[in-house]
Amino acid sequence: MEKTMEANIVRFTHLLRLAGVKVGSGEVIDALNALTVIDFSDREQVKTALRSVLVKRKGERDIFDRTFDLYFAPLEERERQQMEHQMRQDQKKQQIEEAEQDLTFEEENLDLTEEEKYLYSQMDQEDKGRIKDYLKKAEAGKSREWEPNVKSLIETIVKGALRKWLHSHQDQVDLKERVSTGDLELDYILEDLGQKAPSGEDSLMYEDMQHIKDKDLPKANMLIRRLAKHLVTRISRRYKRSKRHQVLDLRRTIRDNIRYGGTMFKLKYRSKRIQKPKLILLCDVSGSMASYASLVLQFIYGIHSVLGQIESFIFSDDLERISQHFQPGSDFNQLMVDIMNKSNVWGGGTRLHTSLKTLRKKHSALLTSDAYLIILSDTKTEAIGDTLQELQNIKKCVKDILWLNTLPEQEWQNSISTRTFQALVKMYPCNTLNDIEQITRSKIFS
Amino acid sequence: MENIRKGFEEVGYISDAEVIVTVYLALKLQKPILIEGEPGVGKTELGKVLSQIFHADLIRLQCYEGLDENKALYEWNYQKQLLKIQIMKEAQACENIEHDLFSREYLLERPLLKAIQSENTSVLLIDEVDKTDEEFEAFLFELLSDFQVSVPELGTLTARHIPMVVLTSNNERELSDGLKRRCIYLYLDFPAVEREIAIIKAKVPEINEKLTQQIAKAVHLIRQNREIKKKPSIAETLDWARALLTLNEDSLSEKLVKQTINILLKTKADIESFNKQIGAAALDEFARS
Ligand SMILES: Nc1ncnc2c1ncn2[C@@H]1O[C@H](COP(=O)(O)OP(=O)(O)OP(=O)(O)O)[C@@H](O)[C@H]1O
Ligand SMILES: [Mg+2]
Repeated sequence: MEKTMEANIVRFTHLLRLAGVKVGSGEVIDALNALTVIDFSDREQVKTALRSVLVKRKGERDIFDRTFDLYFAPLEERERQQMEHQMRQDQKKQQIEEAEQDLTFEEENLDLTEEEKYLYSQMDQEDKGRIKDYLKKAEAGKSREWEPNVKSLIETIVKGALRKWLHSHQDQVDLKERVSTGDLELDYILEDLGQKAPSGEDSLMYEDMQHIKDKDLPKANMLIRRLAKHLVTRISRRYKRSKRHQVLDLRRTIRDNIRYGGTMFKLKYRSKRIQKPKLILLCDVSGSMASYASLVLQFIYGIHSVLGQIESFIFSDDLERISQHFQPGSDFNQLMVDIMNKSNVWGGGTRLHTSLKTLRKKHSALLTSDAYLIILSDTKTEAIGDTLQELQNIKKCVKDILWLNTLPEQEWQNSISTRTFQALVKMYPCNTLNDIEQITRSKIFS
Repeated sequence: MENIRKGFEEVGYISDAEVIVTVYLALKLQKPILIEGEPGVGKTELGKVLSQIFHADLIRLQCYEGLDENKALYEWNYQKQLLKIQIMKEAQACENIEHDLFSREYLLERPLLKAIQSENTSVLLIDEVDKTDEEFEAFLFELLSDFQVSVPELGTLTARHIPMVVLTSNNERELSDGLKRRCIYLYLDFPAVEREIAIIKAKVPEINEKLTQQIAKAVHLIRQNREIKKKPSIAETLDWARALLTLNEDSLSEKLVKQTINILLKTKADIESFNKQIGAAALDEFARS
């Protein structure tokens, strides 16, 4: 096979991974081998062959097909798409520049993120007008000369208005942060894939949970409940098995009883004891995590109703116990409202070290050698070093610490905090519903 | 590849390019095929048919919850062992008995060991793997990696011929990444109308062309309805076709649909959904259009 073909397939599988298909390195080799035995000139055959070695999940077949069609499109088609992509990029850049011109206070740019400027650029004239009017009035009112803080005050208000607008226009904007691969062709394909993603149950499974749109939430919630139920039946099945009578090991019995001439004196049993795990959940509800938290709490709620031995906490600046809210038969929505209303930590900063310390000091009774501590967080916390130290302290007391990381797996490499904590605790991706599904199926709680 | 296509045709399995390419690749790369799909789309059938096409023995391991190595791989025939012990005791000849007792004579070969020991190439059909637990799956994974097992009393047994392995799963739980990575994957969907017509013709050839088309269209429409939970499988399509044949009808009618709908839909809830959402009259009209 030609070298270029090899490079091409490797690049294609890289693209598939970025698009969310899990491809292992052994499978890349299978793909290369497959191409040596089939008819190369038959495009459909190539597609089927690659799909059958690279895609092992029903829900990923669709993504594969679209990625293949884009990647192996005829040259003119690819060039055209690339150009369109470039034009869209330029247009976006221009829109943001225009936004910057509008969003000033006393001729100085407001300090806003790129995302916020982009949001502004997507507003219609009327909504833009309201913000511009506000800025004009503000300028006419207090000046910085009298009140130095006024600019940041105004920024906060503008930010708030943008967020509020976003809330009711989620369907109009596209806030997904695209991984820039530094490869223009891959970038445009990824962008294209993101735009045309259909919103069926399957693709929902692979969507970053924080981008799940309001209209898809009921479906997502249903899926999550189903996953929680799945996990619970798995745990309780294992649990039941341990209570069942032990299995007679005939091979050993026969061996040991040969000398008694076939009369079974000593019966040998196979031992199989599995204990129901004791779980302590720590759920990050700081600003950066808030968009995941409601789905995740949904999941916790699902398991809570069946497994008694769970203690749940939420944290941001500090730790708060929430187990008491999970009464049997309580309504989930009411529960969320209760938790959010009573909580002092919802949407705050992230100080995991403080929170862990609180856990260790105030709830030390929970930290026993048969307990699992499960942390759900994107690892973005202050004081990474202190946090690591606290994790070490706690790890000594409990059976194990498991970390469900909402950061997409491909970003782990570049996240110092993730890499730091990974050295000490087992981490599992928890970015999509599919990840949660994987977790319920893994051997975490065995 | 052409041979495989012909083979399917000869044994009356209606395939398509995807099935053929996948089977061909599995053979060439010597990898197991993992088939997933809704119940009754022909997963098990594909495994069986492959053994026919390649004139290989079919060795089938039907999986179920709680299946363990004893039932899947081998077991010692302890009743026979006990008998032997008692006979030997009476004959006062106890030396070497342990060695004797754990020889092949007392070994009960289960499907997996049979496949490994087989004199000829065989097709090993591991049906409904998703019914087993992760522990067993891990064990399978090992076995499929090197096709050898070690029996403590007999040593390591290695496959003489690597069998062609077909695993099927109804997706009751997702299989481990490890096992999946080892396999070539085939997802079988419900067939398109054309393909189902071909299947009916192959399996119930006595039925006339017109009715065949009506049946395939009707089943297709029912499967599209989201409210209907348990979609009619191909097996049910065939049952329906056979039933209509015995009723001596050569075309669908509203009355006929009402009479026989319980062959396609097995739950009360689904029949109710059908009546509410589609109805016999509309189904009949659609199928005959
Ligand atoms: N492509 C086909 N060509 C001919 N017959 C088919 C085909 N697909 C399915 N059938 C028929 O459909 C019946 C059901 O198929 P089979 O039992 O293999 O389904 P399955 O997918 O294994 O179902 P389950 O998940 O319930 O085990 C078979 O007996 C066979 O007669
Ligand atoms: Mg079957």
